[in-house]
Amino acid sequence: MLSFEMWAEKYRPRSLKEMVNQKDIVERLKSFVGARNIPHCIFAGPPGTGKTTAALCLAHDLYGETYREHLMELNASDERGINVVRQTVKTFARVRTLGEIPFKILILDEADNMTRDAQQALRRTMERFTETCRLILIANYSGKIIEPIQSRCAPFRFTYLQREDQDAYLRHIAESEKVQLPDEGLNATFEICGGDLRRAINTLQAAASLGKPITNEVVYSVIGRANPMDIREMIQIAMNGDFIGARNKLREMILKYGVAGSDIIRQIHMEIFRMRNIPEPWKVRLADAVGEIDFRLISGADEEIQLSALLARLVEAGMTMRQSG
Amino acid sequence: MYTAWTVKHKPKTLGEVVGNREAVAGLISWLRSWEKGIPKKRAAFLHGPPGIGKTVAVEALAKDWNLELVEKNASDYRTEEAVQKFAGLASQYGTLFGKKRLILFDELDGLTGREDRGGVGAIVRVVKQARCPIILIANNAYNPRLSSLRYYCFLIQFKRPPARSVAKRLRQICQHVGIDAEEEALEFIAQRSQGDVRSAINDLQALAQGKKRLTYEDVSWLAHRDRKDAIFNVLKLIFYSKSCDAAKSTVDMADVDPNMLFEWIYENMPYHLRDSEDLAKAMESLAIADLYRSRIRQTHNWKLTRYVIDFMTAGVAVAREKTKPAGFVPLRFPERIKMLSRTKRERQMQSKIGLKIKRRCHVSAVKAITEFLPYLKVIFDNNLEMASGAARWLDLDDSMIEYLAGTKKQAKAIIKAD
Repeated sequence: MLSFEMWAEKYRPRSLKEMVNQKDIVERLKSFVGARNIPHCIFAGPPGTGKTTAALCLAHDLYGETYREHLMELNASDERGINVVRQTVKTFARVRTLGEIPFKILILDEADNMTRDAQQALRRTMERFTETCRLILIANYSGKIIEPIQSRCAPFRFTYLQREDQDAYLRHIAESEKVQLPDEGLNATFEICGGDLRRAINTLQAAASLGKPITNEVVYSVIGRANPMDIREMIQIAMNGDFIGARNKLREMILKYGVAGSDIIRQIHMEIFRMRNIPEPWKVRLADAVGEIDFRLISGADEEIQLSALLARLVEAGMTMRQSG
Repeated sequence: MYTAWTVKHKPKTLGEVVGNREAVAGLISWLRSWEKGIPKKRAAFLHGPPGIGKTVAVEALAKDWNLELVEKNASDYRTEEAVQKFAGLASQYGTLFGKKRLILFDELDGLTGREDRGGVGAIVRVVKQARCPIILIANNAYNPRLSSLRYYCFLIQFKRPPARSVAKRLRQICQHVGIDAEEEALEFIAQRSQGDVRSAINDLQALAQGKKRLTYEDVSWLAHRDRKDAIFNVLKLIFYSKSCDAAKSTVDMADVDPNMLFEWIYENMPYHLRDSEDLAKAMESLAIADLYRSRIRQTHNWKLTRYVIDFMTAGVAVAREKTKPAGFVPLRFPERIKMLSRTKRERQMQSKIGLKIKRRCHVSAVKAITEFLPYLKVIFDNNLEMASGAARWLDLDDSMIEYLAGTKKQAKAIIKAD
């Protein structure tokens, strides 16, 4: 295979015209291109919904094929901290660009991972260099961006892809790659990935590597191997009264596979409402416990300790449910 | 019969001496200089910390060069007369049987007492008149007592060998005695010895003799073996006392910092608090303690530490209402600490690959690890062609390919498919 690429990259739209979802957002962005001017922006929304793609497409449509010369991508997860903002951003922002559009674009990805101090520094930079540089901040939660920055930016809220849009995109990829993708495979992919297109495409590519038609079964076997998050099993172990066993599962996910605590808690929340053997009133009570732990994780507490506390609550709940029949 | 492994597995040739290549080369070149007649410096003075192979290097040298080694240590030359007794030996190079002779004065550090006066002077005289090579060994060559001796000697410094060389030696010994040892276990022993090969081998023997397998669990106790009892009692107080003061007082008793004590409590608690309600309450209390830790990190207000202590000790103590004290419950070393050091290499590899993905896929290295890496693993396991394409596209090196492929065999096949 001479020209391999990860499909998530290979099939990333290059221009706003190619984007299949987030219709309202795309229309507004196209109008910026028409006016040859953009404000500072915040693109907020769940993973795999096209935030980074939209930013890259916008730059492409604005500057044409040489857009890379007018663009800088920084990733706050890797380069967070006040010094990066002070130095890299400033150096980039202050130099005027040549060409008909008088500003450059700085994409700051995963901006919600920036410290508050770094954000404060960024705020001043935004004010000073507005003439020469526009920022696009990308975040999962806009709530983690400080208010003064939010008020300087045009907000765009991305949502999970519609089922039809995602299916159409996956079908298009399967066709180009000459992979058989029956409807059951599409169903399974949506069931697992929701509207997270990046995860869906990665799942599709990994499934295709097996060299078989991508059936329901193939998708689940890929997910089983790629994604060791067996949340349902962990909850079940806890509710059966085995705290230590459940804690071991949790540790495996966090330490061995590097699964993020925020992903685990989101799945626990989903599973609790899906599980048939939990009485309805309990689901709400447990949601309260889950929410509290989620809040603590957001405020920076230790993932394993907090999730263990939640597991202990599940053990207790399981015991009480059994006693009350 | 008990034989010390330090004796049984002594280096048989100079090549087997752990580390110190430079020192060994110096030693050889000095000995070579004797072939052209008596050199200016008739003695070599090896110095360096204990247990790093000075004496065994000399013994191996004698073996390699087929020399008769006359070994003297502290007890043999405490006084002038004692040294004089074997001065005669040094006056000839060859022995009666035609073998050449090498004289070793070991443990010179022991020669500094009041009553040893004269001993150093006598050795100086022996060195000045020697007609055969003499080697002196001490930990500290710059001891003022030995200053008159230093002038006549060729100084060779032995240094602490790096942990990885020590671990390699431990691995050889394990292979020799047929023990299947985890790399992490040997690394842990080696790290702890700080270059003292002798103590590392002694530790290995104490932990591994008679076993088929040596795991990280077997050795991780080493760091804590002296503190084990103290921790055991502290935890019992926390889990079984009814008084807040008693529970809180444990923080001063335990010879570990509060964060480490936190880990010990967290690890061992579920084995003691068997009632689910008690455990939920105690676990919640630990979680609150942790919440205060994160507040301290965010505000840098260390005064909040007192609340961390309250919740991790007193909070846990009063949580027990229904659980009866259990019988003997063995102490467990905090698994998180173990796993963190175990998975360290894996995590380093993941972030290296994450950086490669970042360059191509517009995601952070951190996110690449959860969003791309698991799928790459599936591809590398199943499809040689796709995998080799991916390896090229991402510019992965062989170690990264091997990590993703899971086995050496699969990695080779992928590299070959390229």
